[in-house]
Amino acid sequence: MASSASIPPRNEEDQVLVEEKSFARILVLNRPKQLNAASFYMISRLLELFVAYEKDSAVKLIILKGKGRAFCAGGDVAAVAHNIKEDKWKLGAEFFRKEFTLNYVMATYSKPQVSILNGIVMGGGAGCSVHGRFRIATENTVFAMPETALGLFPDIGASYFLSRLTGFFGEYVGLTGARLNGAEMLACGLATHYVPAARLPSLEAALLKVPYTDPASISAIIEEYSEFPTITEQSAYKRLDIINRCFSRRTVEEIVSALEREATNVKDGWISATIHSLKKASPMSLKISLRSIREGRLQGVGHCLTREYRMACHVIRGDVSKDFIEGCRALLLDKDKNPKWEPSTLELVSDEMVEQYFTKLDDEDWEELKLPTRPVNLPSSTIAKL
Amino acid sequence: MDRISRRAQVLNNHLTQSPPPTVSSLQRSPCLAFSPPELTEKAHFDTAELRKLTDGHNIQDRDWLYGLMVQSKLFNPRVLGGRVFISPNYNQSMEQQREMTMRRILFLLERGVFEGWLTGKGIEAEMRKFAFLEVVGMFDHSLAIKIGVHFFLWGGAIQFFGTKRHHDKWLRDTESYAVKGCFAMTELGHGSNVRGIETITTYDSNTGEFIINTPCESAQKYWIGGAANHATHTVAFSQLNIDGTNQGVHAFIVQIRDKDGSICPSIRIADCGHKTGLNGVDNGRIWFDNVRIPRENLLNSVADVSPDGHYLSSIKDPDQRFAAFLAPLTSGRVTIAVSSVYSSKIGMAIAIRYALSRRAFSVAPNEPEVLLLDYPSHQRRLLPLLAKTYAMSFSANYLKTLYMNRTPELIKTIHVVSSAFKAALTWHNMRTLQECREACGGQGLKTENHVGHFKSEFDVQLTFEGDNNVLMQQISKALFAEYVNAKKRNKPFKGLGLEHMNGPSPVIPSQLSSHTLRNKQFQMDAFCLRERDLLAQFAEEVLKLQSQGQSKENAFMLSYQIAEDLGRAFSDRAILKNFIQVEESATDEPLKGILALLRSMYALVIMEEDPAFLRYGYLSTTNATSLRKEILVLCKEMRPHALALVDSFGIPAALLSPIAFNWVDSNAWSPVQH
Repeated sequence: MASSASIPPRNEEDQVLVEEKSFARILVLNRPKQLNAASFYMISRLLELFVAYEKDSAVKLIILKGKGRAFCAGGDVAAVAHNIKEDKWKLGAEFFRKEFTLNYVMATYSKPQVSILNGIVMGGGAGCSVHGRFRIATENTVFAMPETALGLFPDIGASYFLSRLTGFFGEYVGLTGARLNGAEMLACGLATHYVPAARLPSLEAALLKVPYTDPASISAIIEEYSEFPTITEQSAYKRLDIINRCFSRRTVEEIVSALEREATNVKDGWISATIHSLKKASPMSLKISLRSIREGRLQGVGHCLTREYRMACHVIRGDVSKDFIEGCRALLLDKDKNPKWEPSTLELVSDEMVEQYFTKLDDEDWEELKLPTRPVNLPSSTIAKL
Repeated sequence: MDRISRRAQVLNNHLTQSPPPTVSSLQRSPCLAFSPPELTEKAHFDTAELRKLTDGHNIQDRDWLYGLMVQSKLFNPRVLGGRVFISPNYNQSMEQQREMTMRRILFLLERGVFEGWLTGKGIEAEMRKFAFLEVVGMFDHSLAIKIGVHFFLWGGAIQFFGTKRHHDKWLRDTESYAVKGCFAMTELGHGSNVRGIETITTYDSNTGEFIINTPCESAQKYWIGGAANHATHTVAFSQLNIDGTNQGVHAFIVQIRDKDGSICPSIRIADCGHKTGLNGVDNGRIWFDNVRIPRENLLNSVADVSPDGHYLSSIKDPDQRFAAFLAPLTSGRVTIAVSSVYSSKIGMAIAIRYALSRRAFSVAPNEPEVLLLDYPSHQRRLLPLLAKTYAMSFSANYLKTLYMNRTPELIKTIHVVSSAFKAALTWHNMRTLQECREACGGQGLKTENHVGHFKSEFDVQLTFEGDNNVLMQQISKALFAEYVNAKKRNKPFKGLGLEHMNGPSPVIPSQLSSHTLRNKQFQMDAFCLRERDLLAQFAEEVLKLQSQGQSKENAFMLSYQIAEDLGRAFSDRAILKNFIQVEESATDEPLKGILALLRSMYALVIMEEDPAFLRYGYLSTTNATSLRKEILVLCKEMRPHALALVDSFGIPAALLSPIAFNWVDSNAWSPVQH
């Protein structure tokens, strides 16, 4: 998640730069000072462009990248938090509606999307890349879903893609907010390729020259520039056994105690760091996140986003817990990094409270997320996500 | 509209695809591309809410366990058409399947699935245990049976037949699989008739030991799940002979294997061999060659033997003693009934999803082929079974609740209701699977598509824990006793849902409008009328035979035809009653509407299919004709909800099968996903 600077961009239209290169469209996220944090405008513009390109038979390939050292550091959460404080949670809901609609369109897109993740990819940044067909990581990539530390939960369809990572790695990534590098992203499947940053310009040129734009040919071209980086011994990915043993437990409490049991058996800084992240996160966030990922494992992407939209609206309306406001205060505004969560412990978060987040909102104006109609001639990889 | 856009797409594909792309080795014809029903079929009610009503309890726990299985390599995941499917590899040898079952159990154990299964207290722990067993059984019936034998039969025997000393010694170790238990009740010569078993036990007061013996070949223990490979201990059922007096059937704990898995002295074990299903369960045969066990190993909740060899029991009547003894075994019938519904749900979800994506024959030349479920005949084959599956599902939940809240006064009710539902639900399952198999054509024959294969996996349910036909007769006997009791003492009927017998006989209108046919009071009246008349007829016939000098048992035997009709009438009426209760508990309007539709379908199809309604004149032939027409209308009304109705079962795609999803892609030549 990125903090947004208070200075408005000079020209909103500059937030997404568009380059037209024969059959390809290169979209550049352009808020480098804000680490390309996805503003409402940016998301709306992306959605508009994606919808238009789907209908435009001249467009066969979309390349998405970020300007500066980030791909996209997340949704512009601070703006949402600002709206809530102003008692305008419905404006926040609009943000999520637009963002999740974009996620759905990307996940079910009929044309290949290549995202070049040469830098920070967090939260909403993952949402505009991971759902697409190709995700290229580099040595500069830093990926994280840090929402539980902010009183939110991994949204943007994360309950769909995190739950489909190997074993219980998704629970680990989603609950702890652990950072992954490009090599780890490739290993766990969040990225489809790893290309050293120095080769990106020639890869891009090659993609624009390719006579075929079917996924297999695009994949073959990217592979020519790809490497298989090694994963260091310190990596969480080398600890899949422990992750599967602990993060497969039924409840958050059991996950924590399983980790604590592991910690007594082996001396490993990784385990204590993991426990520390869980203890620092919002207890409410942890519980709704776990349930969301568990449900997401068994649901299609549309269903996941609809459920996440309900959850997000409950979070910003603050009817069960106000942890999101508190998280934004402590991490983005006051920056004291010392949020006071309420409820303050896992034990105080009851099943009934968690259940609340998964129900419809009892508000006359509120509506479920309406997923846009998709073309019938979807590729089979997309059909499988429904 | 759908046809037009489809046709336009086909034409468009013809025009834009030329010249054909040269990259991939084989491109499938665009005309036969899979079209996911999700894009065209919309839900008109909240499927999550309906799932809450059908699963009934522990939804998140179920989802957790589904996820646990889907994410583990041990559950044999395969990616087909871009989706993961899990199912045991039934192409493995029997021995391999048995080892995989055991490994999966140990995995679930390690992940904490069995925590509290025997040491937990209260309804909540028990409900979670049931939910987990149901989920496991949807992956593989063998896995559920093997777990069920260990926890419900062996563990249950210790809980219910044993006393504190047994609980302290065995329950924790059973929960952690430190001991692996089995349940040696049935013999080669005796199955449903437990009282006739021939294994014999005597007591040696000099050493304080019981001596268990298999006196002849027909007394060998047979079908003992877990015995052939893994079990270390068994509960052995045996006649107990004290000083020359047979005290009837008792249960004893016997160790059959040591820690290393070697068979203990004086025990012989053989395999039951390959079966038509459940080959992941190691059914075995056991012979006891005068095995000596400590006196304390008698499970003594009902009767005991003192150290000096005196038989002690608070229940003097051996018949009552036996009944008290076996009462707890009802849990077996409960779990069977429930698991059969989940099997039906899988069958229905697969066949209906396939029927929503598979086309066959065009009605007119140059028209697209027709979707299977758009054929009225296909709707008539599947949709009534779907309504019945919902009805059965609600009754399975009712049965669980009844069992959870059991009291000594409820033992009889639980016995009768569990017998009725076990028979009704398991018969329904076999019929459903057969229909689904045929509805999927040749695809139904592939093991990976479950519908055909499940028939042999679940067939055993029709006879274990009581042959369904025997159970039907037992229900009728129990109803007969109620009838005689009420008439003799001139007291109203009370219990088993028979209160309707106290009122006046319902009247069926001579003309049945659509409105009446869908009225739940009319439906209930018709079901009650059938039950009360059959019960009266049955009682009359039995009493008449008795007055002619036949024994009561003989009279029952000779009246088996009406007994079976009556058993079915009782089950159907009880199921309808439970359905109406669920419907009345729903608050959401769209949900109430769909439940009413399903309930009417259930009730009318039962009336159409059971010849008793016409045979005994509860319905006129005119009535039957109106009914038949109404069923067609109901099919048409259910059709738009078909996908949402199977989605509401909440079964993850991974537990369904390739033909339920992108069957073109999962069968494509190149496994590379585009």
